[in-house]
Amino acid sequence: MKIKSLMIANRGEIAIRICHTAKKMGIKTYGIKTSKEPNAYYLSFPDEIIDFSDDIEDIPEFLDVERLINAAKAHKIEAIHPGYGFLAESPYFANRCEEEKILFIGPSADIIHKMGNKTIAKQLAKKYNVPLLKGSQGNVKNPEEARKIAKSIGYPVILKAAAGGGGRGMRIVEKDDQLEKMFRLATSEAEKAFNDGSVFIEKYVRNPRHIEFQVFGDQHGNYIHLGERECSVQRKHQKLLEEAPSSALDEKLRTEMGEAAIRIAQSVKYYTAGTVEFLLDQDRNYYFMEMNTRIQVEHPVTELVTGLDLIELQILTALGEKLPIGQSDIKLTGWAIECRINAEDVQAGFSPFLGTIEKIQYPKSKNIRIDSGITDKSVVTPYFDSMVAKLIVTGEDREKAIANTFNALQKFWVKGIKTTIPFHKAVLSNEKFKKGDFNTSFIETEMESLFYQGGDDEMLGAFLATFDFLATLETEDSRTVDFEKGRNISPWVLNKRLK
Amino acid sequence: MKNIQHKETEFIALTPKNTRYKIKNLFTDSLKINHKKLDIQIFDDENGFTYLLYKNKKYHAEIIEKNQNKYIVLINGVSYTFTIETPFSYQRKKYLDKQKPKNKVEVVQAPMPGKIIDVLVEPGAEVKTGEAVIILEAMKMQNEIVSPVDGKIVKVYVRQNDIVNKDDLFLEIAR
Repeated sequence: MKIKSLMIANRGEIAIRICHTAKKMGIKTYGIKTSKEPNAYYLSFPDEIIDFSDDIEDIPEFLDVERLINAAKAHKIEAIHPGYGFLAESPYFANRCEEEKILFIGPSADIIHKMGNKTIAKQLAKKYNVPLLKGSQGNVKNPEEARKIAKSIGYPVILKAAAGGGGRGMRIVEKDDQLEKMFRLATSEAEKAFNDGSVFIEKYVRNPRHIEFQVFGDQHGNYIHLGERECSVQRKHQKLLEEAPSSALDEKLRTEMGEAAIRIAQSVKYYTAGTVEFLLDQDRNYYFMEMNTRIQVEHPVTELVTGLDLIELQILTALGEKLPIGQSDIKLTGWAIECRINAEDVQAGFSPFLGTIEKIQYPKSKNIRIDSGITDKSVVTPYFDSMVAKLIVTGEDREKAIANTFNALQKFWVKGIKTTIPFHKAVLSNEKFKKGDFNTSFIETEMESLFYQGGDDEMLGAFLATFDFLATLETEDSRTVDFEKGRNISPWVLNKRLK
Repeated sequence: MKNIQHKETEFIALTPKNTRYKIKNLFTDSLKINHKKLDIQIFDDENGFTYLLYKNKKYHAEIIEKNQNKYIVLINGVSYTFTIETPFSYQRKKYLDKQKPKNKVEVVQAPMPGKIIDVLVEPGAEVKTGEAVIILEAMKMQNEIVSPVDGKIVKVYVRQNDIVNKDDLFLEIAR
């Protein structure tokens, strides 16, 4: 099967990323324009733009199932790619697409539902012999039930939203007397975020590593895995820096976990791109966490170590094509690191830094890839996530990849807003990180400073501030400017003349 | 007041932690910072970025806030806060700081824009350092705002479902 047209029900860098592959495959792309960012950079990539900016609905544009489907039908578009976030893991949306004979680029509604519900997913994992953490059989209804289970498996425990993901609706409970409050917080957050307040409880592993496997399945019973991604550098369950492969795995463990990931895929006859998430404890035991049924933000690190186009494989397998490669064709070469550069103020607890990006300057090199949805004059709005760009850098080995990434960050300049670049530099220059000796508690426990400062930086800042202060004073001192003698010229001007 | 000889004046850039940078002979070839002769140059490049050149290294530099003698600048993306003083104004500031009574009321402000999900305390309540006082939802995450001190709640400025901006007042706590 082949398609000629594809709607991208997403924005930002992922919309652009999907456009690139679709163009390569000869598929015409349709983008969605919203009133929240009618001049966004991503809109210059699709072949056609469908205008949703009249704001006739209260529902956010990329969550408006019927409007997206009607637009696809009106333009006779054959397929919809949901990207990540928004409707990417909505069984309802996948089902509506199926009903309207629009191809959803992802697995079936039934698969999304099974894997999206952690209780069902865990039962499947158990049946297919994939290790799991101790915990409740299904959801817990009230704090009393949670308390009973917590006592039997021992504290600490974690409460998780059954419909959850991305760290929302998750609460760690260290002691019995916190349980009731945490239960209330977890259920209310889950209710708000997913319209489903049900939570389950499981043993909390202290300081695990977060390792995920990229898998693919087709609709002919073939499954492959593309190795792992190391996602342990997290803050409040939000990934900030990822790498492929992981320094925690050797070939034996990689094969074993890869096979377990494939068994998860087999358990639901999975097809298209998926990610199986594991926790790895300090004794190198691994436990199945969840399966994400979408393309992930961090997919580029896998692309750079495998040389494969994951969006292309995702589209092909959604179309019903056979996987063009088998497990033995997959070779992992070199090392790749991704830094999620967000418009956030690291010095103020990573709070969003809204504003206009006046200028952006990317580092350039053969081993650098930038996936970004912004350009000069782009506005960071409160409506969407705060991502500025993904910087993905490779090296022959981990040490070189780290050095290359640090050098790339030095040349990555953004004017007008603060970003997480100083944070990434701090991670990459941390000794424990360099040794590969870290886990999900890294940011809280191992980082002396969350942002990187050179030894002379504060002094240079003092110079800059004083320079400008004096320049302003001089300008105010006299309105008469004597260019001949160079008197009372703004030092900024003077400086340019001297150059 | 025309043509004050600033070039010969010493300035002090003072950080909030009271680190002092004494800067002398700006705009001349004999710039001195903390009595050391230094060569720092400032450039605007063709792409609209400002950078400092020091010891053959480029430092991306930007002024993000200024208000009279108060500055927030970025060096390689990290912000630094300074007040610029003359030796005279610095002496006066030191004197005035000594006179100031110690502030015994701690204010809690919004660390980021968001929505108040829950206010967990009322005026009069005793709180401990690290105790959650407000649940703030921002960027789809619920964040616990904790008390920075041991004390008693004096005033609560927000209610459930309020939308707040960064630095909006949440509450006052008397130590």
